[in-house]
Amino acid sequence: MSAASAPVAAAASPRNDLLSWLTTTDHKRIGILYLVASLAYFAVAGALALAIRTQLAHPAGTFVGSHEYAQLFTLHGTGMIFLFVAPFAFGLANFLVPLQIGAPDMAFPRLNATSFWLFLFGGMVVFAGTATAEGGAAAGWTSYAPLSEIPVSSGLGQDLWIVGVLLVSVATILTAINVVTTVFIYRAPGMTMWRLPIFTWEMVATSLLVFMAFPTLAADLLLLFVDRHLGGHAFDPARGGSAILYQHLFWFFGHPEVYVMILPYFGVISEIVPVFSRKPIFGYTGLVLAAFAIAGLSMGVWAHHMFTTGAVNNPFFSFVSFLIAVPTGVKFFNWIGTMWRGSLTFPTPMLFAVGFLLNFLLGGVTGVMVASPPIDFHAHDSYFVVAHMHYVLGGGSLFAIFAALFFWWPKMFGYRLREGLGTWCFWLLFVGFNVTFFPMHFMGIDGMARRVYTYADAGALPLLNLIATAGSYLMLAGVLVFAWNVLLSALRHEPAGDDPWQANSLEWATSSPPPEHNFERLPPIRSERPVFDARHPELPTKR
Amino acid sequence: MHAQTWPETATTQASVLASDWALFTYAGLAVAALVWGLILFAILRWRRRPGGEAGALPPQFRTNNPLEIAWTVAPLLIVCALFVYTYRAEATVEALPPTADATVDVTAYRWGWTFAYAGGPRVDGTAAAPPQLVLPLNETTRLRLTSRDVTHSFWVPDFLFKKDAIPGQVNVFDLRPQRAGTFIGRCAQFCGLDHALMTFSVRVVPAPEYARWARGGAR
Repeated sequence: MSAASAPVAAAASPRNDLLSWLTTTDHKRIGILYLVASLAYFAVAGALALAIRTQLAHPAGTFVGSHEYAQLFTLHGTGMIFLFVAPFAFGLANFLVPLQIGAPDMAFPRLNATSFWLFLFGGMVVFAGTATAEGGAAAGWTSYAPLSEIPVSSGLGQDLWIVGVLLVSVATILTAINVVTTVFIYRAPGMTMWRLPIFTWEMVATSLLVFMAFPTLAADLLLLFVDRHLGGHAFDPARGGSAILYQHLFWFFGHPEVYVMILPYFGVISEIVPVFSRKPIFGYTGLVLAAFAIAGLSMGVWAHHMFTTGAVNNPFFSFVSFLIAVPTGVKFFNWIGTMWRGSLTFPTPMLFAVGFLLNFLLGGVTGVMVASPPIDFHAHDSYFVVAHMHYVLGGGSLFAIFAALFFWWPKMFGYRLREGLGTWCFWLLFVGFNVTFFPMHFMGIDGMARRVYTYADAGALPLLNLIATAGSYLMLAGVLVFAWNVLLSALRHEPAGDDPWQANSLEWATSSPPPEHNFERLPPIRSERPVFDARHPELPTKR
Repeated sequence: MHAQTWPETATTQASVLASDWALFTYAGLAVAALVWGLILFAILRWRRRPGGEAGALPPQFRTNNPLEIAWTVAPLLIVCALFVYTYRAEATVEALPPTADATVDVTAYRWGWTFAYAGGPRVDGTAAAPPQLVLPLNETTRLRLTSRDVTHSFWVPDFLFKKDAIPGQVNVFDLRPQRAGTFIGRCAQFCGLDHALMTFSVRVVPAPEYARWARGGAR
């Protein structure tokens, strides 16, 4: 070991130039790189969403044409799902998991760096399609065959989409391997599995889902590529292939992916609510079991995206989908139980956490609705489903993402974001989100299909769409306030200290930002909230 | 031509579908109201008030087994009941009696529809001049749906029903209109450039009028 002879001063102040960031294998820096890159993709995908809403403000909008519109919703969906909501969670996990379990780094630091760069360039490859002659991918983020096959979608943009998403898939699988190995092998003395913070538990469940889901996506995309360029006929019914096979493989990935995009954020909420209730998380064991119940059930619900295909056993997939409501309900009751009789304060992270609870609940209710095939026969592929999925991913995951940014910002950078601007950001996003997406339920019931660049100038549709577009600009204002907040706070701030929120888990036991190897020393770990125990030596420790 | 609003149902199948919508909407809103109520109650009741004692910790309880079992079992019973209802509703809607009063082969393509009546007319139309599907009132028409290129979806919002048109596969379903009138139909599955314009209309007419149309209405 050469560490003993390394100069102490160099270890205390790591290099901070550009090259050191590009070559870093430090999990905290990779985590921050992930967060910055995924937020950049969020900005792009969000701008595309605004273009979509601008086009739809009028029934016969002329902001873009049909082909441009197809690229807009394809890249919006791809960007938000593959390049923002899921990678942000893995960025957060990169930063937090080693800190929360008292480890010096992830298990495979260089593999970790590989994951990040694969993800970053994979996203760029997807968007590079827009620079080709026929434009970017335009078959939707689901890229259903035969629509995505050569006879219909001959453009290079579709190929770049396939390759880009494949690169991101590989990055995701590698990161999941890293997270699981780190948690199983690198826990500090005293950090038993049943003392893991809930966020870390949720990342274990998420990573197991990644193992099962993403290889299937990779297989599906490879088959599509073989069909397109190497003479395959996997999805061509005229040559013995099956159009429905693409959907089966895609959703065998795609539904677990939904939980890859929500379980980490259940974890975020489970970290934040106890801190601002000044109580331990309620029903720790139930929360962990619920996470694994959701993960397990989510492997058996993929065909609820295919109720109208006439090719699947609807009752089976309907019933398993209903069952997911049970562990999800358990989580909600546990969060309410955590707030119950607490001492509640509402700084920005808690505001966003409460916003998450209120929004996600509606997404959950409509989720149970569309899990009923008779309802799905009308709602499927309509704006009702658009409303549902945005309540889950926008009202849910996105709000948890902002909660996480405000909550862990001081740990990452050593100073807090401003509370006043944070409150503005929350209310603009909360009101803007609901004004945008609540009317979409009624658009769907009124018969508006998704993925249309023009719609009937009849009934309430024009008014509902205009309201939704107005809401989307409110959301833009909220995001701009956030950017302004980041800028101002970076320019002028006071040190936040190690533990600005009086929090519970181990990341708050080290300095802000943490030193390169995370901990000078660890507090004793005798429960799932060692930092609380250290702050309150007078209280008996549970477990 | 403008779509009538749910729940004035236009087919007997849609009556069943609408009752499923109603059940789930009311049950969902009841559960949501309860949970939203609990969240808002907790926020208002236990928010730390200005001047409240910041140093004192609230009670540090962590579990309540009977309560946790209750809020696991109760939702389980609710979803089981919902499943029974949804299963029966779907079975009713998708039931195919041995014979139907009329049969139509529906073929979707980019970007139009062909309606070929067994022993009768064949109607075809694209986005520029959308075709019309004529159905007899209070009689059962069987539709055999497929696609000749990519996946499409046959959706009549007033019927609260859609079914995918998939190449290499024929999907069969019945429609029994119970209200005369003209309804809009459209493709629901994104299928390329003119997906948004890939519409058709459904005209429901009394059986005698349908019979006259079917005899002489070939195009």
